[in-house]
Amino acid sequence: MQASRARLFKEYKEVQREKTADPDIQLVCDDSNIFKWTALIKGPSETPYEGGVFQLAFSVPEQYPLQPPQVRFLTKIFHPNVHFKTGEICLDILKNAWSPAWTLQSVCRAIIALMAHPEPDSPLNCDSGNLLRSGDVRGYQSMARMYTRLAAMPKKG
Amino acid sequence: MGDKEKEPVLEDDAMGSCSAWGNFEDDDVMQQQCSIQDDEAKKFPYVGDKEPLSSLAAEYQSGSPILLEKIKVLDEQYAAIRRTRGDGNCFFRGFMFSYLEHILESQDNAEIDRVKANVERSRKALQTLGYAELTFEDFFTLFLEQLEDVIQGKETSISHEELVLRSRDQSVSDYVVMFFRFVTSAEIQKRSEFFEPFIMGLTNTTVEQFCKSAVEPMGEESDHVHITSLSDALGIPIRVVYLDRSSCDTGGVSVNHHDFIPVATDLPNASGSTEKNNPFITLLYRPGHYDILYPKGG
Repeated sequence: MQASRARLFKEYKEVQREKTADPDIQLVCDDSNIFKWTALIKGPSETPYEGGVFQLAFSVPEQYPLQPPQVRFLTKIFHPNVHFKTGEICLDILKNAWSPAWTLQSVCRAIIALMAHPEPDSPLNCDSGNLLRSGDVRGYQSMARMYTRLAAMPKKG
Repeated sequence: MGDKEKEPVLEDDAMGSCSAWGNFEDDDVMQQQCSIQDDEAKKFPYVGDKEPLSSLAAEYQSGSPILLEKIKVLDEQYAAIRRTRGDGNCFFRGFMFSYLEHILESQDNAEIDRVKANVERSRKALQTLGYAELTFEDFFTLFLEQLEDVIQGKETSISHEELVLRSRDQSVSDYVVMFFRFVTSAEIQKRSEFFEPFIMGLTNTTVEQFCKSAVEPMGEESDHVHITSLSDALGIPIRVVYLDRSSCDTGGVSVNHHDFIPVATDLPNASGSTEKNNPFITLLYRPGHYDILYPKGG
């Protein structure tokens, strides 16, 4: 508990210091609870998520960094490796390939990379995975783009 | 995880009562797996008590005659065994205990200085490789503390009993394991050309991927690549005794061992030590698991 708090505090300071280093990620710690974080990440360019801003929720366990943070999308997203209802993310580093060498910031980078490079063979969203697996890239992209517009872009007045 | 629900079949309140985070199937699986592992693990501490070698024979009472023959051979050379928990970290936990116990008993200050210099070399290697200091420094600090604490005659000095207790305390043991994993990973990546062919043979992945997926995560089992690189990085020789069913044609049984002798990155002559080629850490390997062995008259 003490160790995880100390580690998170270091990450917090690092995030403050490097605020401008990674303009695609805005990582914020809950005011009253260092075990709860949210992040705003920009959809990578040349993907159907481009132009969207996606919110992630982090819940950090007491065993952190020996155990991974739980991360999920709060913003609706159509992606083979993200559960359409719950926002759960299928990413090895959040499961069995986790190691303390990762930080909350680098997890965000890994999630952005996953957005750009979906893994349709281990889908949490089968509809999305099946579109890609059957080679219907256009179908996948237009669905993903539609949800990006609906959920991840500011509403036009 | 192929067949995830396509239709939301769960009632909303059923989901709500599960957890505020909704229906996390993957996490459920992971949690269940963790709890099974925990239950299994709780049956045995990270590091057990010293047991006479006869306890090893007792395990195979009605088992393979070759193994029983081999245990008899072991019995001539080794006095005792100290078991470790089989959670994928057993090599590192065995190494940790064996090394700290050796320092505690030998009070070899030259060895401590030597290993500290190598620890700093590993720290530099990680920095050079681009690892953020904050990701590994806590693990380094905790290991160096243990090393300081086994030196006697200080306020913080610990007894052998305390060393056993600490080795069973997750907050110490897991952190030291993680320290070794960082050191191992740094050494492999630093000498990636040397390790590449071995890694290709094991997993068919790149050196970096191997480190990310098979060295750094807790619970990933150790292979000869891990042992070689940890031994080299810290400059600590390790003897591994193999207990398996293999037998030689000549009829008589013998027990194979392999000594991992660190490549000479720093010549040990400074301390005038001739023990360099004589490992003070001996681990017993049975397929998939490492325990600690104690030589006779040691």
